[in-house]
Amino acid sequence: MELFFLSLLLIFSGGALALILQRFFTPMKAAAALFIAAGCLLGLIHAGLWMARSGEAAATVYSIEYLNAFTLAFRIDGLSAFFLIAIHFVSMLAAVYSFHYMDHAEKPLATAVNYFFFSLLVGSMALVVAADNMITFMLAWEIMSLSSFFLVIHNPDAAENRRAAYLYFVFSHVGALFILAAFGVMYGHAGSFAFADMSAIPDSVKILAFIFAFIGFGSKAGVFPFHVWLPHAHPAAPSHISAVMSGVMIKTGIYGILRIYALLDCQRPLLGEIVLIAGILSGVLGVVYALGQHDIKRMLAYCSVENIGIILMGIGIGMIGAAAGKPMMAMLGFAGGLLHVLNHSIFKSLLFMGAGMVLRKTGRRTMDALGGLMKNMKVTGTTFLVGSVAISGLPPLNGFVSEFLIYISGFSGAAPGGRAFVSCLAVIVSLAVIGGLALALFTKVMGVVFQGEPRTEAAQGVNETGAAMRFPMMILAGACLAIGLFPVGFVMMAMKGVSALGLGYDGSGMDVFIQLSANITRGGAVFFIVFFTILAMRTVLYRDKTVSMGGTWGCGFTRPTPRMQYTASSYAGSILEFFRPVAPLHETHPPIRGRFPDRTHYHSHVDDIAEKGMTPGVVRPVLFLFDKLRWIQHGDIHLYIGYILLAIVALLFFV
Amino acid sequence: MIKPILFWLLAMLTAPFFSAVILKVKAFFGGKKGPPILINYYTLFKLFQKGSVYSHSTTFIFKMGPMISLGAAVTALLFLPIAGQPPMFSWHGDVILVLYLLGLGRFFTIAAAMDTASPFEGMGAAREAYFPIICEATLFLTLILFFMLSGELRLSAYFFGNEPLQLWRAAGAPLLFVVIALFIVLLTENTRVPVDDPATHLELTMIHEVMVLDHSGPDLGMIELGSYLKLFFYSTIVARLIWPYDMGNAFVDGALFAVAMLAVYGVVGVTESVMARYRMDKVPKFVLTSFALVFFATIITLEFMK
Repeated sequence: MELFFLSLLLIFSGGALALILQRFFTPMKAAAALFIAAGCLLGLIHAGLWMARSGEAAATVYSIEYLNAFTLAFRIDGLSAFFLIAIHFVSMLAAVYSFHYMDHAEKPLATAVNYFFFSLLVGSMALVVAADNMITFMLAWEIMSLSSFFLVIHNPDAAENRRAAYLYFVFSHVGALFILAAFGVMYGHAGSFAFADMSAIPDSVKILAFIFAFIGFGSKAGVFPFHVWLPHAHPAAPSHISAVMSGVMIKTGIYGILRIYALLDCQRPLLGEIVLIAGILSGVLGVVYALGQHDIKRMLAYCSVENIGIILMGIGIGMIGAAAGKPMMAMLGFAGGLLHVLNHSIFKSLLFMGAGMVLRKTGRRTMDALGGLMKNMKVTGTTFLVGSVAISGLPPLNGFVSEFLIYISGFSGAAPGGRAFVSCLAVIVSLAVIGGLALALFTKVMGVVFQGEPRTEAAQGVNETGAAMRFPMMILAGACLAIGLFPVGFVMMAMKGVSALGLGYDGSGMDVFIQLSANITRGGAVFFIVFFTILAMRTVLYRDKTVSMGGTWGCGFTRPTPRMQYTASSYAGSILEFFRPVAPLHETHPPIRGRFPDRTHYHSHVDDIAEKGMTPGVVRPVLFLFDKLRWIQHGDIHLYIGYILLAIVALLFFV
Repeated sequence: MIKPILFWLLAMLTAPFFSAVILKVKAFFGGKKGPPILINYYTLFKLFQKGSVYSHSTTFIFKMGPMISLGAAVTALLFLPIAGQPPMFSWHGDVILVLYLLGLGRFFTIAAAMDTASPFEGMGAAREAYFPIICEATLFLTLILFFMLSGELRLSAYFFGNEPLQLWRAAGAPLLFVVIALFIVLLTENTRVPVDDPATHLELTMIHEVMVLDHSGPDLGMIELGSYLKLFFYSTIVARLIWPYDMGNAFVDGALFAVAMLAVYGVVGVTESVMARYRMDKVPKFVLTSFALVFFATIITLEFMK
């Protein structure tokens, strides 16, 4: 535990140093990045050591009582340690990346403030997953929400950034209120702030508390339909912040759902089904909306919604398996979901860092303005390719491993009869569809942004600089390959997280997991052997052959231009057409008229039904209600004091 | 161990031959003599002898595409029981790995096409990314059905020896729907008529052929070989379902399997001869039919198993 607090101290002092040293731009960045990264490394070592402890790992507990008013309690078990690994690993690399990314020397104060809140965010995320009572949890949760709010509003000059930050603020606080409501319900029945006392409350209350908590945590995690803030916040925030927010911060929502589930210890299939349906909706709609985006960071944000969906599908199927008394299905589902948390944090932060490099060098986020970046951005392009293959869930990379576990979990429950069968069928088919859509999405991004020819001048002649930006991407791409080829250690780590859920599944059936992981390794090895054989044969075939260069075959057209290339919009067009009922596609395209036509244009936009429905469905009724209550707010201080007195008197009678 | 390797090699060697059968059947329907039955070997041989021309727009991904798509198809055949013989590898969940490896092949085929900056190849790539999404849903639903029937999640539990017969015994007539659905998937995944016309002359209407326009020489040869192997993979699945018997003798089984394969390729040829390609926006509906069929079969089987 000392190591844990020492790492927090280092992280926070990194933020404080940035404020102190803000006059000296480069030393300030170096000191802050170094301290935060070192703190994260220490935290990573701590969590790693915790994971490496053999046998039945007991939880580490620590608590301090503050002025007899409240107790701050911390507890690290397998689940916390698993999330700590993801948090520290990604934050460490993001801190390194930020050194070259934050290069606005004319705004030293903004940069220093950014580092300060970044350190707060990283530290508070670690505190959230280590908290062991409601007060500590809410405190850490609020620091996390507020510090990330200030990070989103890093550049407040643009109106859209202010709007994005406001939206995020509203969502994260309405979400926090729901969590508070869940905690309130739980406190009301358990009479204690400690997490350990929660399993004693009645079953019907547990369902209510879980639903409140699911909405609250879901709004942080970006579960459909509470994901509306995500695609706005990510383009506004600096890229390494997006990487941390999308890679790990939204996962604290997943942590919350899992933690509440473990605390309530309520084995009802209904809870699993709620999580599962939310997961399927987020998974499918997230990737469909991602296909409709033009902005690369917005696209990645929607893609996070999709991956949160996959994680929830794993957790949901695990909960259903636990309720149905199928330990294999439950363990595989939870392990798949948890491993996907780690996997997604790795490849999503990799992709955001790649997008950040593109944004820094070209100044454009619109995919259709880019193209051909692979030629001069070798490291960014190649690592982005690795991330794209991994996030599409394809072997031999890490995304496949977690999806594979969720598939196997679904199949283990696919015995005919009962509610569990329908859930399993839904999970397997949706996972297959999501996989196909993700493949379409990332071939689109790769093809339009990094391949082909530059579509505008902005994309011409750019190259990548900054070793601090390239190095983290290489590490992350290496991690994708390592987990994809040798998953056994990581699957075991996920299993330690699962055993912390207290379902009584520790120890037994581990050989199945080792077997499955070994099979994935063997499959990867077989594929690599085949691939390298083909590579060798290709080298032989090309020996002493004439290889020449020419233009792309334009099918007889003699004056091809880069503008003729297939655009991202047209690439996704026909798929979006298929999903039109849930993703209304709006196109404006004035027709070409006359013999000497004027310039024309094409604009397409995909509506997010949750965002569209928010105004008439939620905002207007709420405004209407509050409008009617306006007479209470009259500005008369005497009457306000009267209200307070009345409230206290009423409370005296009723409580 | 020697038999699986032998049959895997045989599959690799005969796949181009079977693909030529389709051409022969089409020629017969057209009243033509058609190309020689060994045409695909001549083509491969010719391509492997040539050099290549690369576009200025391309990167290393363009060269990775053919290798990975061929590698995925070769690996897939390593897991598939050919002619009812045991495959080289088999383990719990291998079928998911195989389907995803074919997905990896598709990813890189598309990426190689996008590498050329050609508008036509982008168009083909978009279609190649779209239609197989529905195929994957069909395939995984079929997998659920097969899992319900056999309780196993490996290719050899469905297609090795007498296993297909066990599937028929457990499911009965609904499996006919699955055969039709898998045939539709075969046509879609291998971009045959009525989804795509491999013999069309207009780039705008192609899917697979347009994606490989810029490949030449050995690269193109690898793509061709990969597509023969992929067709062989799907045809084996359909052939094993329509000829589920196991005679116990590898030679007899091999010969009978070849006849069943000829029948499948023949039906592909007949389909190509008597049908026109669907309009592109009709294709998803055609592919969705396969999903509906398997869904129907699953529901009926659920009733049977009660």
